[in-house]
Amino acid sequence: MAVVAGSPRGAPGFARRALGSDHVAGWLFVLPAVGLVALFSIFPIAWGFVLSLQEASLLSPDRPFVGFQNYADIASDPRAVQAAVNSVYYTCLFVPTSIVISMFLAIALNQRIRLVRFYRLAVFIPVAVSTIATGVMFLWVFDANFGIANWALGKAGLGPFGWFNSPEGAMPSLAIMTVWGWLGFDTIIYLAALQGVPYELVEAAAVDGATRWSTFRNVTLPLLGPATLLLVVWSTISAVQLFDEVYFVTRGGPLGRTSVPVFYIYRLAFTNAFGFSAAGYAAALAYVLFLVILGLTLAQFWLGNRVVHYSS
Amino acid sequence: MRRRRTAASVLLTMVALIAVACTGGNESSDTGTASTGGEPVDITMWHGYGKVIDNQGQTNFEAKSLIDLVDRYNAMDTGVHVTLDYIGSNDHALEKLTVALQGDLQPDITYQYGTSMPQLATAPGIMDLTDRVQDQGFNWDDFSEGARAAATVDGQVFAIPALIDNLAIVYNKGLFKAAGVDEPTPDWTWDDFQAAAKALTDPSEQQYGFAFPIDGSEDTVWHYDAMLWEAGGDILSADNTQAAFNSAEGVEALTTLQEMAVTDTSVFLDQQNVGKIDELFNAGKIGMLVTGPWALSSYPSVDYSVQVMPMYDGGSHATIAGPDMWVMFDNGDGRGDAAWKFMSWFTAAQQVKEDSMTSGHLPIRNSVVQEPGFLDEFDTKFPGEGLFAENLENVTKARPVITSYDQISRIMGEAVVKVMLGQAEPQAALDDAAAQVNEVLAGG
Repeated sequence: MAVVAGSPRGAPGFARRALGSDHVAGWLFVLPAVGLVALFSIFPIAWGFVLSLQEASLLSPDRPFVGFQNYADIASDPRAVQAAVNSVYYTCLFVPTSIVISMFLAIALNQRIRLVRFYRLAVFIPVAVSTIATGVMFLWVFDANFGIANWALGKAGLGPFGWFNSPEGAMPSLAIMTVWGWLGFDTIIYLAALQGVPYELVEAAAVDGATRWSTFRNVTLPLLGPATLLLVVWSTISAVQLFDEVYFVTRGGPLGRTSVPVFYIYRLAFTNAFGFSAAGYAAALAYVLFLVILGLTLAQFWLGNRVVHYSS
Repeated sequence: MRRRRTAASVLLTMVALIAVACTGGNESSDTGTASTGGEPVDITMWHGYGKVIDNQGQTNFEAKSLIDLVDRYNAMDTGVHVTLDYIGSNDHALEKLTVALQGDLQPDITYQYGTSMPQLATAPGIMDLTDRVQDQGFNWDDFSEGARAAATVDGQVFAIPALIDNLAIVYNKGLFKAAGVDEPTPDWTWDDFQAAAKALTDPSEQQYGFAFPIDGSEDTVWHYDAMLWEAGGDILSADNTQAAFNSAEGVEALTTLQEMAVTDTSVFLDQQNVGKIDELFNAGKIGMLVTGPWALSSYPSVDYSVQVMPMYDGGSHATIAGPDMWVMFDNGDGRGDAAWKFMSWFTAAQQVKEDSMTSGHLPIRNSVVQEPGFLDEFDTKFPGEGLFAENLENVTKARPVITSYDQISRIMGEAVVKVMLGQAEPQAALDDAAAQVNEVLAGG
């Protein structure tokens, strides 16, 4: 529309029309949310990118631009490589384990059994427990000397294991702890998907003489495809972003064996353990991590759309 | 992990917004009135001492001492009003200040670790106290030498010492008696210590002679530093240009730890270092610790005693001090002067003595330690702390006050952990660490 700036008659008319339109009302409704997202997501994302081009410490105002040098430094940083390797290892432990166990649990909890609501609640409770509380508990459960895990395994003639204390055992121990902590979430997703499996199909399979196993293999499992895809993508993103548990429980140790990318980025930016002006380098790593996650997610969806044929 | 973050982060965001809005409002109104001269200048002081009544319902005497002193100061007619802000653990004070500085929301006074001083010296608005500490009556030389050194970066003073600790042996008298081992004496060598640790270890009872934090943090490193100094070694060369810890003395100290941890398995190795060692000592599972005065209140169930650090042949009882600092920012409108005015009262001998007698902190001023009768009174009220106060004499060296210290600490921590986990030999690990440190020092 053509409104002449400063026009005495045009402006009030425009304002009235604009305020009356649905668009404005809509924008007003979402404004608080948009404002928060802009302030706490979009601004930091943009600022992080600027920071990644600087040799910067967060404490000092002196921040010279160095172009893409920070990005170029990543390949020759053995600790970044170590963090990436650790992250791949953790993801390979965490994602398949949690998906297989949660599918099994969801099927069990989808049966008509007594107290099923209680069991469902019990499976979900760890998700509601704070990460730190989970960490404190597992520190003692997996204590090499005083822990109940070594005690119980000792009764069975196994161990003792070093758990978090041993360089080889720390990452698997973290994986066990996080699988336990997040199992309830995956189970709930599978449970919802299972309850969406049409009973007619199961019944039809039974009429056709299918065994329980082949019903599961040929009817239920394919219909769980979309949920599995969602969980694989979701769990992978979470696994790559692992931080809280490492920060609290292992601090990246022993010997850097549980130093994962987000934890390394945190140490670079907010401590001086890797040099005083590492915040810019940390921001560059964070951007690379973002691109990796984006790439992984796109690849998984692309692959998933080839394998998953049913949408619920 | 990330999943549950969303809800929490929105909530935190809201809280942060409200907090920012509130502090913003207060500041502008306060500074507005301050210049008129009628109202006192309001300054903010960050601390990590918590609440007077802690979550277990116990009185927190460190917090009580600080709050009482500040309340008393606020009641006096000084033209300065101090608002205390509890910011959580001091371990995160530097991170929190870093974030606050991004938004120009730094406090006027903040508690910080001494090892952060070289970084803090570059922060915008930090007060250079070099001239002020020479004020008539402030008596700067009364602070211990190690603490003054840690507050000084390239000849300029950027902080006032807030707290000074040191390490000594704390041991469980009951376990020594049960094992038939003689209690530590001031003549003890590390061989005696090692033998006692071995004798106190009982795998069937899951009882250990000694415990050591192996999270690779500064906590790991300063325990090793003390032993390095006792053996006669040093962290860096005198001009801070070369690593010196891979000397014969450094290897000797690390070999002691290796023998205890790997050969004798008499050491409880705490990988996480979030309080397990103190809990186990209090549960009577550990014979000896090397720790500081802050830990004594964690051992109500144990009959313990304190002894100075063991020696190496021809070495000393050298211990290490972890001086913490009060750092000030000049936020304009006379607040810098106000902060200085308050701090010179707060760290004067009278207040230091009062704080020590309430909180159990070792006095940061030598004149208080030397005051006739003080040590007896102090040790009676806080059993074991008298020795720590006397042990300040054995603090003869300080960690290097250079920007790259945290990097050096990380590298040394990795070497110590590697050896104590049996994954490397002392000489090789220290040589490797020294090469890395030299690279850091050469890179500036």
